[in-house]
Amino acid sequence: MTLLKPRDAPTRRTRGTAARPRRRPARAAGRRGGMSSGYAVLAALVVLAVVMLVPFVIVAFNALKTPTEYSTHGPLSVPHGLYLQGVKDFWNRVDYGQKLVNSVIISGTVAVAGTTLSVLNAYALGIGRVRGRLWILVLLLMANLLPQESLIYPLYFMFKKAGLYDTRLSVIIVFTVIQSAFGTYLLSSVLSSFPRPLLEAARIDGANRWQVLWRIVVPISRPTIVVLLVFFFIWTWNEFLIPLVMLISNDNQTVSVALGVLHGQRLMDATMSSAAALLGIIPTLVFFLIFQRTLSRGITVGAIK
Amino acid sequence: MTTTARDRRGYLPYLIPGLLLFVGVIAVPFAMNIGIGFTRWSGVGTPDWIGFGNYKELVKDSEFWASFRHNLALVAGMSIIPAAIGLVLAAALTDIIGRRFGPRTASVLRACIYLPQLLPIVVAGIVWSWILAPDNGAANAMLKAVGLDSLAHDWLGDPNTAMWAVMVVMVWFQIGFPLVIFMAGLQRVDPSLYEAAEIDGASWWRRFWHITVTQIRPEIYVVLLICTIYSLKSFPQIYVLTKGGPGGATNVPSYYSYQNFFEKTDVGYGASIATVLTLITVVLVVGFIRAQRGQLDEEGQT
Amino acid sequence: MFMARKGAAVLATLAACGLTVAACGGGGGGGNKSGGGTQTKVLKLWHYEGPDSAMGVAWNQAIKDFEASHPGVTVKFEEKGFEQIQKTAPMVLNSKDAPDVMEYNKGNATAGLLSKQGLLTDLTPQVTKRGWDKLVPANVQTIAKYDAKGVMGGDKWYGVPNYAEYLQVFYNKDLFDKNKVKVPTTFDEFTAALDAFAKKGITPLANAGAEYMAQQYLYQLALSKANPTWVDNYERYTGKVNFHDPAWTYAATTFADWVKKGYIAKSSVSTKAEDAGVAFIGGKFPMMFSGSWWFGRIEKEAKFNWDTFAWPGSQLTLGSGGNIWVVPQGSKNKDLAYDFIDATMKQNIQNALANNGGVPVAANPAAVSDPKAKELIQTYDALVQRSGLAFYPDWPVPGFYDTLVSQTQKLINGSATPDKVLSDLQKAYDAGLPK
Repeated sequence: MTLLKPRDAPTRRTRGTAARPRRRPARAAGRRGGMSSGYAVLAALVVLAVVMLVPFVIVAFNALKTPTEYSTHGPLSVPHGLYLQGVKDFWNRVDYGQKLVNSVIISGTVAVAGTTLSVLNAYALGIGRVRGRLWILVLLLMANLLPQESLIYPLYFMFKKAGLYDTRLSVIIVFTVIQSAFGTYLLSSVLSSFPRPLLEAARIDGANRWQVLWRIVVPISRPTIVVLLVFFFIWTWNEFLIPLVMLISNDNQTVSVALGVLHGQRLMDATMSSAAALLGIIPTLVFFLIFQRTLSRGITVGAIK
Repeated sequence: MTTTARDRRGYLPYLIPGLLLFVGVIAVPFAMNIGIGFTRWSGVGTPDWIGFGNYKELVKDSEFWASFRHNLALVAGMSIIPAAIGLVLAAALTDIIGRRFGPRTASVLRACIYLPQLLPIVVAGIVWSWILAPDNGAANAMLKAVGLDSLAHDWLGDPNTAMWAVMVVMVWFQIGFPLVIFMAGLQRVDPSLYEAAEIDGASWWRRFWHITVTQIRPEIYVVLLICTIYSLKSFPQIYVLTKGGPGGATNVPSYYSYQNFFEKTDVGYGASIATVLTLITVVLVVGFIRAQRGQLDEEGQT
Repeated sequence: MFMARKGAAVLATLAACGLTVAACGGGGGGGNKSGGGTQTKVLKLWHYEGPDSAMGVAWNQAIKDFEASHPGVTVKFEEKGFEQIQKTAPMVLNSKDAPDVMEYNKGNATAGLLSKQGLLTDLTPQVTKRGWDKLVPANVQTIAKYDAKGVMGGDKWYGVPNYAEYLQVFYNKDLFDKNKVKVPTTFDEFTAALDAFAKKGITPLANAGAEYMAQQYLYQLALSKANPTWVDNYERYTGKVNFHDPAWTYAATTFADWVKKGYIAKSSVSTKAEDAGVAFIGGKFPMMFSGSWWFGRIEKEAKFNWDTFAWPGSQLTLGSGGNIWVVPQGSKNKDLAYDFIDATMKQNIQNALANNGGVPVAANPAAVSDPKAKELIQTYDALVQRSGLAFYPDWPVPGFYDTLVSQTQKLINGSATPDKVLSDLQKAYDAGLPK
């Protein structure tokens, strides 16, 4: 197939397409695997991306509808105009500014603390290869694999005893531990295939363990560490059950708990829910977009070799 | 091996904060959960000690064991399929799109595919039930528009397709997670490996299989295991999409335990389900990590 | 590289802020307590009704009235999510963060359970002193009074209902006229109307199999062959319950039959109540059998002529007192809490409820201007006069709601016979009875 493509090209060129001149320099770089297959892959991925976004379009549509419009034309109709009252009403009803601050504080702290904890654990397990690391890893992973509902009652009693019930700190502590289980596992797996010569070279240069960690291991694992930061932030942002139980006063609640106000016992407010959801995605989206740039800019192991 | 036992011990202090926090937030509560599993308790007041009563009941509880079978499908939908697709996508985005059309194009596409992970699951559930609605849902409308009326279906309502529909939604929801991890992992891969293979005339699939997959094997293991764990404890997805229906066809153990905790307020029974579920998961995880370590150590020696 | 540094710096700052704020968070909750000395008193009130709902509007008015008649007292109101209260009430009430007065769910698994555990204040002395028992009809009192085991219909008041709710058939007059179908008054006419619509290819009844609607059709069908003793046996465990008795058998077979005849859509198996309601408001179904909680919304959003009628040929229908005011045992201002409850029972607040599409427990139909709202209240009065409110099918056993959903789903998609469904219901009911 790939061999046929270049031969095809001249006959097609006579017909002439607008995109053709731009393709040529790219082909020089790509060399093998015909250019058209590159565009085929791009086209397929663009289609996939659009399909992935369909539910978001539906959310956006409903966020901009009046409740009456939603009821008469159903959830899938295109809105007739821009109706921003839903967003405004929700903002005022739940004091959204305060919820945003709470969510940012909780998710931001968990992202940093959880990542730090993961790095420390993974350094000992992946690079240090301490005795019984398999069992330590499994133990730490328990934080992730326990069904959260089983932690609710015990955590409630412990935090009540400690005077931390209904504080943001309680949620921060819990999620730092839960999220770092995944971080420890991912990082220690990655670090166990870390190039040993690099470490030994540093040790010969007189660096101690602490310095090796921060000067060699952390910079080289940066792409993975950024992934952890992003994931921890977003996951904690969307957590529902534990914040729902631990943060009972409205002043401490998070964005995802505030969404719950819109679901009554038998009625729900679909347009306002959509508006609220859209409002709730924006911070995580911004966060993801800022950090995703660094995802593809990491220093590769190969580059250091 | 240059690392000696004494050298290894020097790394132990790095584990102290992690282990301390773990004991406080996970170990003690889990021990309490095991204790609650031996009682009859409604969440308030004093629990009644009933020994193994809950477990005896659990062994006979056909609903509980049936829910495990449904979870297998969820493992596929949340772990295996997204990991496989994510791997191909990550390779295509890094290798083809990133190199031919620039990293910016690749990261825009990655962001789009990752986006579902940002949507609160409650909202995602509502939107998907609109899409999959039998009479005026978008999915059926689309099928009718292209003349495939006969394929239109009550996706979430038919016990035969409900689990499949849930799986599709799960793949949609989950796929961004492996993609981002794999793409980050691919940053570690030495580009000269690809260049060498290309000069040797290896096809894209050969390079994918022999370089990409081999090089980011640690990430693949992690994604598979973590996603499997998520699928074992993923009641929110089931809760918002089907509530275990129709007629229990999509019930999973974690939802079953949740029901007992909060809807039947049979906290003791819920705790015993959670304990069993945890033990099963632990066994699974130990087996998996052992296999992984075997693999990685083998590679380390060669 | 630069971006990453900056990002990390932002994060570190956030984390630092987070820790300081979180550390101070513990003191924040105590703010109102320290201020509770002499000058201002604070009444902590929680409820979970939306600001535009009948209850939300009326209670907001009550807060203003209360503050006017209690100088120096401010009401600190927090709107909660239904789910949050549902899941966390036992924990909250067992802590020092409990509110002074709150709305809570009626029923054995909620208010009953907490009363048994001593987390709720016994309101009986206040009820007699303030005459609330005269305002609340006997049929509605059931959900406010619990016995020592926490079973409703007992002797002690642990809550006070402020509004009520019941089910009826909402119908789209335009669709009836367009298809020349007569609005039914008897059960035979009702089935004739269902048949007439089905023959024209229109599914007559809106239904939601994934949520409460389907089981409410089923229970209503059973109620039409039942009497108050049957209801007591079922809801309050006063006698043996047999799901193979004539009432349940009639209900299950009729329901399955209606699906077969197209009166209820087979495709409603996975529908949620919200979507069924929206489809009705969008004019897709001529009839919907559901609760008075839809009333305000239909009135606001429906673009066709509509009205309601009670389920034909039945003395009993689904309904009960609404959620109740409870005073937690840990309430710090019990007297103010009683005063607030009293304020919501006043005639002007009750009328405000009625005028906003709610069903007040002690309404005066004469004071209601809107003709449909007036009818809503007259029907309610007639129902409580004959003790016609028969509660809901999922009440007697915790978790029975899910069982009913999944069993009615089986009736709709035909994966189980009515006989099998009834046997499974019996099993779940018997297993869940209080031990």
